[in-house]
Amino acid sequence: MDNVTVAAPAGAQHTAGTTKIGWGVPILIAAGLALLVLGPWLFGGYLLSILIKAYFFAILAVTVDILWGYTGYLTFGHSAFFGIGAYAAGLMFLHQGFSGGTIALGLVLAIVASAALGGLVGWLSFYRGASPFFATVISLVLPIVATQALLSGGTWTGSSSGITGYETFAFSLETWYWISGGLMAVVGLVGWLIVRSDAGRLLTSIRDNEERCSYLGINVPRVKIILLTATAGVAGIAGFGYGSFSGVVAPELAGFVLGTELIIWVALGGRGTLWGPMIGAILISVATAYLSSSIPFAWQLILGTAFVLVIVLLPQGLIPLLIKPFGLHGQAGKIPELVERAAPETHAGTGPTALDMQGVTKSFGSLNVLQGINLNAEAGELIGLIGPNGAGKSTLMRCMSDGAARTAGSVHLCGRDIERRPPEDCVRFGLGRKFQNANIFETLTVAECLRMAGTTLEKPALFRRQPQLALPPYALEVVRKTGLDAKLGTVAQDLSHGEQQALELAMVLGLQPKIVLLDEPTAGLTKTERTQIGDVLSSLAHKYKLCCLLVEHDLDFVEEIATRTVVLHQGEIVMQGSFQEVVNSDLVKTIYSGAHPAGHEESN
Amino acid sequence: MALLLDWLSTAGILFIVASGLLMIFGVMKIINFAHGALLTLGGYTAYVVTQLDLAPWLSWPLALFTGILVGMLIEQFVMRPLYKRPLDAILATWGLSIIIGQLIVMTFGREVKFADTPLPGTWSVAGMDYSAYRLLLILVAVVLCAALTALLSGTRFGVKTRAVIMNEQLASALGINAGRIRFITFSLGAGLGTLAGTLITPLSSLDPAMGIPWLVTAFMLVMVSGHSMLSLMVTCVVLGACQMLVSTYTTPVLGGLSIAVLSALILRIRPKGFAYG
Repeated sequence: MDNVTVAAPAGAQHTAGTTKIGWGVPILIAAGLALLVLGPWLFGGYLLSILIKAYFFAILAVTVDILWGYTGYLTFGHSAFFGIGAYAAGLMFLHQGFSGGTIALGLVLAIVASAALGGLVGWLSFYRGASPFFATVISLVLPIVATQALLSGGTWTGSSSGITGYETFAFSLETWYWISGGLMAVVGLVGWLIVRSDAGRLLTSIRDNEERCSYLGINVPRVKIILLTATAGVAGIAGFGYGSFSGVVAPELAGFVLGTELIIWVALGGRGTLWGPMIGAILISVATAYLSSSIPFAWQLILGTAFVLVIVLLPQGLIPLLIKPFGLHGQAGKIPELVERAAPETHAGTGPTALDMQGVTKSFGSLNVLQGINLNAEAGELIGLIGPNGAGKSTLMRCMSDGAARTAGSVHLCGRDIERRPPEDCVRFGLGRKFQNANIFETLTVAECLRMAGTTLEKPALFRRQPQLALPPYALEVVRKTGLDAKLGTVAQDLSHGEQQALELAMVLGLQPKIVLLDEPTAGLTKTERTQIGDVLSSLAHKYKLCCLLVEHDLDFVEEIATRTVVLHQGEIVMQGSFQEVVNSDLVKTIYSGAHPAGHEESN
Repeated sequence: MALLLDWLSTAGILFIVASGLLMIFGVMKIINFAHGALLTLGGYTAYVVTQLDLAPWLSWPLALFTGILVGMLIEQFVMRPLYKRPLDAILATWGLSIIIGQLIVMTFGREVKFADTPLPGTWSVAGMDYSAYRLLLILVAVVLCAALTALLSGTRFGVKTRAVIMNEQLASALGINAGRIRFITFSLGAGLGTLAGTLITPLSSLDPAMGIPWLVTAFMLVMVSGHSMLSLMVTCVVLGACQMLVSTYTTPVLGGLSIAVLSALILRIRPKGFAYG
């Protein structure tokens, strides 16, 4: 695929959210690393051992932040994976003895068992149409089941008192401090690289708008399952380290209380920042260790109160507020350079029919919203779908783009049967759908939104940000005509209504679809924007030979651009043909209940 | 026969514990994590009544009143700003449960306590002696279910509440004060929570963490049953049977888990639970 640079990036244009990174970050990172290296000379033995445990907890907090802060999956059960890791160490060393072999075996077991359980929980929690509540509910059950399993293990797991007295690493406190601190730094760094990378944007996109992700061809449940599996594995490693260091493992490590404490650390530290939860976990663990002996109940009360206050008043957490003066706030990366992706070859009229619907019916109980719809559309056609409110236009669009939507009948996209497949598969078959309300990722920048549209075509980089953003020529045309190329660094929710609509259209076109569905693309647009959209759609159909279908109430607009007009009334296609044939027919006049076609009357 | 009575009373207890949670979830789509702490609070109300040498019956209205009062405060100061952020609302109620729990610990200490039963002794059913209090709880559950169903489907308040559940914007546009409906349901739900706490206390001992195990069970029952009191009752009867059979024929530990695990599986297979079908 040859990429040609066509537009210089708006380099000078530092719009909202792209402030320069100041000296604050390097100084803070250096200070943190210095503490990790010099700790043993600065802290006493008691504090050191607390910090070692706190660092293992901080690793766990980072994984919870990736799941909750970035991806939007609220979990109360991540402690279970930590517990499994800790018990893998304890059980292995107690029952098999302590040797090089058992260390390796225990570590592998910790990772594999937690990751496998993570995958299972992911399968249970994430499926098409699952509510986010449901996943959270499952995450509640997990630590309870895990704790009960450990409790009923009898002498093998030590029941409620856990296991202790096993031989473990004979490292000094200093060594342990460096090991746990180093592990935390590595996990933090890898996490930071991932969440900043193009693949990391995927997580934020899922949090912002799962529906849009799925209509960009992304298999959201699979991404979440993989993510949970991976973070569970990391939690298992942290647990293994904790179990090896402390020499005591107890069912509480896998329990519900630790799971909810994690959420408190992450919330107070600042969700979605990685370092916030890390610092939150460390500070709160240390404070708890000191204060729980002097003011045990009051300390928990203070924590609980602080938690409620932060959730209500400061959802971003405390630490971002403290660090703000250092200029860490709102760091956005470089704005990528726009390049053109070679347009796919087009052979109008040779390939299979772009869209083929046979006998499609949709009913809710005894009410038929659609019945016996037969509709064909070829590449290069621009079809206007009109009909009064409640005719079933939007339902028809849904039946084209989601295999689960229709009750009966068949739909083929570019010759492939969509069966009962989810939207992401329909997108892979060549469909792109633009919704009526701008359906975008509100907290991502324009460039990031556009990048997401290419996820199915170019695998996003896991640890980097691509310096270039490739789009097919027609998507570039939209971006440039509407002036979005000058706003690549702007956060999508700050765009005007028309710009958001244009962005969504550009995202849909970025998929390089063969069929484009548009639901009322002109609603709420200014006259200029409307003309622009009209030009774009005409060129899509005529120049690039895409098949376009639009639902539209603005009949003038349909007259201007449509090559064929389809009239839907009470769930049936009552007529199709050229615009003039349709609007002059008596049937359509009756449907729109007047002597004149409604649209003409209004606009003249 | 004993098995049958065990089953019915288990189902009754489950219903009593879950009804307050359902009340709040049904209207607000928010899971009240403070429910566990409210149960504990209700339990300690019974303890206070015992300590003051009052008639144990008094703990019922007292607990209901305390719960409604606490619910009103929580709704006013914590829940109101969070209706637009449902996941955060869940978290805030969890924070509240920590606060309530710690206040209880600071007032009463960590030790296990006991409260008097309003109805000691046994009743004879079909020639068999059975704990009178457990039998009473079956009755309470049935009455509660009937009363709440009547409230939600028979009264003006109920109609307004259902309007808010179905389409809050439209309901507000029609002049229904959705904020007030929420305020009332939250307070009432909290009151039912503390009442449930008082009701179950005589069956076991009392400690500051007693609400937590109930919370998860009640939570799963509500998720499975959807939003009608009758379907909650059915769910409690069905899953109560499972719990009892598993505890009787295997171990009580597995029995305690059975509701949570079964509910999770039911929800995976039928995401909408029993309510629609």
